[in-house]
Amino acid sequence: MTQPAKENCLLLPLTAGLLAWSIPGAGHLVLKEKTRAIIIFATIVPTFCAGLYIGSIGVIDTVGPTPWYVYASQIMTSPMVAVLAWITAGGGYPVYSWPNEIGQIYTSTAGLLNLLCIVNAIYLAYLRATETTGG
Amino acid sequence: MSAAGFLIIATFTAPEAIVPEPALMLWLLPLAASISITYKATKLPKITPANFIKEAAVLFASIVVFVVVIMLVLHAFRLITE
Repeated sequence: MTQPAKENCLLLPLTAGLLAWSIPGAGHLVLKEKTRAIIIFATIVPTFCAGLYIGSIGVIDTVGPTPWYVYASQIMTSPMVAVLAWITAGGGYPVYSWPNEIGQIYTSTAGLLNLLCIVNAIYLAYLRATETTGG
Repeated sequence: MSAAGFLIIATFTAPEAIVPEPALMLWLLPLAASISITYKATKLPKITPANFIKEAAVLFASIVVFVVVIMLVLHAFRLITE
């Protein structure tokens, strides 16, 4: 009898987490937190785009000397970052010096902020699930 | 795709020309704003426009003041050691 309740406790946080990772703010939107979702989307996406504008898509670098944790934090913005990494993997978008540094800082910060939102969405979803199932 | 579309994409394929000068520190401001807005969006139990703006502004000011204090301390340290 407790199986559906247990599944709900897992399913809702998992869905919210995956949605929050796919599109910034989508995790909160599925939890009916519309205001939070709009604020998160309207903050994280422009921050990430500003990083790409300053340093070009070349700041997403998986084959160059960039440390792995920069790409790890960038990809937390969205899985779509992997597509950009695939485009830049050939080395056709070289970027150096200040534009590279500022671009990486902006895109990495956007990813880390989205990680905060993913964790928050999972936590809120877990609270909702346990409230509804009485767990 | 239209010419405008190509132009928009083109702006993301070439880096901006950034001159290393003290004004470069101003790039901190949008980032601090972004951090404070997102953090407060996740932490406030209930979001009302007045409360949210006030809380985000306080955090933004705290970040900027803290960075300025660190800058001054490091600058003073450099003056002492030189």
